[in-house]
This record gives sequence, structure tokens and C-alpha cells, in this order.
Amino acid sequence: MADSYVSDNEPTTRTLLRRVLDAEVPRTPRRPRSTRAGAQRTLVETPFSMRLRSQTKTTARWHSHRARSIGRLAHIQTSEHLKEQTPRTLLENILLTAPESSMVMPESVVKPVPVLQMVQFSSRESSPGSLELQLPELEPPTTLAPSQLASGKRKQRLRLSEFQQGMDQGLPVPQGPLAEPHGNAGASSLTSSLNLTFATPLLTQSVQRPGLARRPPTRRAVDVGAFLQDLQDTSAALALPGDRTPVATLPTDTVLEDTQPFSQPLIGRSPSMHHSLPCPSLSAERTVSRRTRSSGPGMQKNNTSPELASSTPEFPQARQLEFLEPAPPTSPAVLSSEPLEPLSARLPPRVQTAGPRLRQDPYKTGLSHYAKLFSFYAKMPMEKKALEMVEKCLDKYFQRLCDDLDVFAAHAGRKTVRLEDLELLMRRQGLVNDQISLHVLVERHLPLEYRQLLIPCAFSGNAVFPAQ
Amino acid sequence: MALSATVSQRKRVKRKAPRGFLKRLFKRQKPHLRLETSCDLLVHLNCLLFIRRLAEETRTDACKNKCGIIKDQHVLAAAKVMLKKSRG
Repeated sequence: MADSYVSDNEPTTRTLLRRVLDAEVPRTPRRPRSTRAGAQRTLVETPFSMRLRSQTKTTARWHSHRARSIGRLAHIQTSEHLKEQTPRTLLENILLTAPESSMVMPESVVKPVPVLQMVQFSSRESSPGSLELQLPELEPPTTLAPSQLASGKRKQRLRLSEFQQGMDQGLPVPQGPLAEPHGNAGASSLTSSLNLTFATPLLTQSVQRPGLARRPPTRRAVDVGAFLQDLQDTSAALALPGDRTPVATLPTDTVLEDTQPFSQPLIGRSPSMHHSLPCPSLSAERTVSRRTRSSGPGMQKNNTSPELASSTPEFPQARQLEFLEPAPPTSPAVLSSEPLEPLSARLPPRVQTAGPRLRQDPYKTGLSHYAKLFSFYAKMPMEKKALEMVEKCLDKYFQRLCDDLDVFAAHAGRKTVRLEDLELLMRRQGLVNDQISLHVLVERHLPLEYRQLLIPCAFSGNAVFPAQ
Repeated sequence: MALSATVSQRKRVKRKAPRGFLKRLFKRQKPHLRLETSCDLLVHLNCLLFIRRLAEETRTDACKNKCGIIKDQHVLAAAKVMLKKSRG
């Protein structure tokens, strides 16, 4: 058997499978561990199975199946002919039947590994050295099924990782007791094999270190959320995530900045304003907040004033006050006294700015709606500053529009602006002229529903609709 | 009668006009004036056309300066021209 394997190094899966099956037939399917030869054959299978498993990533299932369906599949294998089945299915069967108790791995066993491209059987022209390497790899499968499951997973992944690492060496075994043998065997086999499956290289690495794999990326999000909550609750709470702020503020700030440069609704509602502030002030305040946090509580008041001065003297000034108040961190003794004062000072500015703030929020959102249209019409990438400029222009335009409409309505002796006034305005603007009428423009640019509202005869002369 | 065609279908207008926003805007600016029912649609149309022209002007401006990105100075220069044009 071994000789036959050794002699034939054909990479074809079919031939290899045939060899395996031939080797399989004589031995009892139930407990392949009985004989050494059987073990060898089983060993042949195990690398197949392992490879396949790594391929299919259904290790658990395979393991369980293996224990149970060894006999069944063995028979199936023997009965079915290679040619009738695809090599892949056959190998899968082998996987199922392959006992975990793979013992020593003779070189021959290693060789008929290559399976299609997926499996790493490929040419186990394993060197004698590989034998030793494979031995430890195969031994672990003898463990119990549940442990095998895990070990199988680890085996596969470790093997692949091993392969990646020790391509040429075939020796190194980085981790885990199980990992090592598997890794060795994998590396050894892989080094010789031509078709290596990289199906689960990433998985292997991750699985090798379960701790790494388990680390949820959401941890960061949780921190941010907690941080925001802390911000909202009290200024004292801000002292806690002081360490995390440099990390937490960045993502939140960036996220919030990207979403809405004018996310003013949040401002003034809670101490977490600094997140919602516009970008330029945000950055300034962020640094300011950090400075305040880093500096001692005694520096808080000193910092607030320079921060205020440094910060842009716009509308966010009041916000900054509030923001800076919570920003000051640390010593609770100082905080207890300080927050009271800033809170009292904070309330009046809050009330004052509440009015204009609310008015600007929907106003800005409406303008931003048109600004988006601008960027769509421009068909070119735009800077954020350019968008802000567009909004300013729109503001001016709206003012002018209202003034004009007022004049026209007054000229007509009316107090209500009508369609005629608007048409006159557009005519004066040059949008409507003798060539292009208002109806044409309406049809061009407005959606159907609005068109119907504006042009009463749009659907005249068509089918009668049921009155609804 | 003109509306009957769309009544049966689900009413979801694409590119909706912010009618409430426009009405509120006009009210804020001219509280003594009243805006008619469908006037805000025309106002919206006016805005669309204005923005379209502004965008084209900005694009030509940016292309003139051989810029791949629209910058605020382009917008400013184009707005000056446009606001002059749409003086009414």
C-alpha cells in the first residue's frame, strides 16, 4: 500500500481516491483503529477528511458523522465506483468514514491526499520527515467527538495557518497542543502538496486563538455608547471615560460630523453637544475638551475662558459654554462645586438660544435639501465649504424671492401671492419667455403629481376616471 | 379629475417638494402675506431652476480653473452672476 502510494504520485484526484478506496476495502469499516494498516489507511482518510473539513467548514458535522457513519460510508465507498461519483463526493464520503483515530501516518498515506483543488491532499509526496509531523497531527483526532469537533476545527485551521507559516519548513507549530500536531502535519503535507486549499486560512488564524476570534468588534461601539450616555448624564460621568475619550470621541465625532455638519438639534439638549457641533467648532472643542480633561480641575475655569475666546464666536458659543462645562473632568470634589456653578450659568444661555436654534434647524435642513440637489446637478465632487456657500446663496435667494413676490402682490393690490405673481417673477428672471412657457417648465421639472395640481387640463380628454 | 390617475396607486412622490418648509419660510419672511395653495410648488420650481443654473455656472467656473472639485470660490463667483440674473 505504502509502496503503491509512494510510487504513484499522480496528482489526479481520481487515482488517488481509487487508491484510497482500494486501501479501504479490505479493512473493516467499523473500527479502523484495529490494525496498523487500517490505521494507515484511515490515516490516509483523515488527512483527506481534515482537508475536506477545512474545505467545507463543517467540521462539527463531519466529526459527528464520522463517528456514526463510518460503517455506512465505508460500504458506500466500496460499493460505488469512482467513476460514477465525482471525486469530490467520494472524498466527502471518505471524510465521513474516516475515523478520527488516525494513527501513524505513513508516507504513503500522506501522498494520496490531493483532492480536487479544494482539498489539500495534493500530492502527499511527503518526505519521511512529514511522517513524523503528521503523526502528531493525526493523533489528536482520536479524542472524543466533542473535543474532536473543536480539535477538528482547530486542526483544520491550524493546519492551514501552519501551512501558511511553515510552507517550506513544515515544522513550526505555533499554538495549542492540538494545533501543533495538526499544524505540523498540515505544513508538511502542504509543503509537498501542490494544490493547497486556502479556503480557511483566515479562519484558522482566528480559530487558533479563540480569544482573538471571540473578540467582538462591538466592544468599541459599546464604549462609545457608554461614553455618550455618560456625557449626557452628568459632567461627572465624563470623568470616567477620560481614557477612552481620545478613542471614543474620534469615531463619534467623525461619524457625527460626516452625517450632519449642522446637527444642531442635539446641541443644547445635552452635554453631549460637542458631538453634534459643526465640524470646525467640533474639532476645536474636542481639543479643548481633551485639554480640559487632561488639565486638572483647578485649571478648568482657566481653560474655559481661553477656550471660549479661541472658539469661533458664532452661535455655538453658548453651546461651548455648556460643552465646556461638562468637559472638565476628574476630581469629584472640584467637580461637585464647579458643575453647580456652570449649570446655573448654563441655563440662561440655553433658554436664550433655544428659540433661534429651533428655527434654524428645520431651516437648515430645508436648505441642505436644496444643497443636495445642487451637488446632484453639478455632477462634480464638491467640498463641504462649497455646500455651505451654496446654502448661504440660497438663503439670499429666498429672501429676494419673497421680497419680489411681496412687491408683485402689492402691485396687484392683493395680500395673497398667486400664481400670476410667480409667473411674472419667472418671466422677469428670464426663465419663462416666449419660447418657453411656464407649463413647459412645470412639465419638465416637476413630478407628475405636482404637475396635475398646477396644470388643471393635463389629463383632459382622456378616459373617464371613477370619482374617488 | 386630473388626480384620479394616481389615486389608485400608492402615493409616493419622488423628489418631493418641501412644501411645509417653503410655506414656513415665506411666513417668516412676510408674515403679512399669504401664499396660495399651489404657489409653493411654483416656488419650488423656481428654486430648482435657480439651483440648476447655479450648478451649471459653478461647473463651468470650476472647469475654467481646471479644478476637479468645486470649491467655494467657484460657487461664490457663480452665485454673484446668478443672483444678478434672477433679480426680477
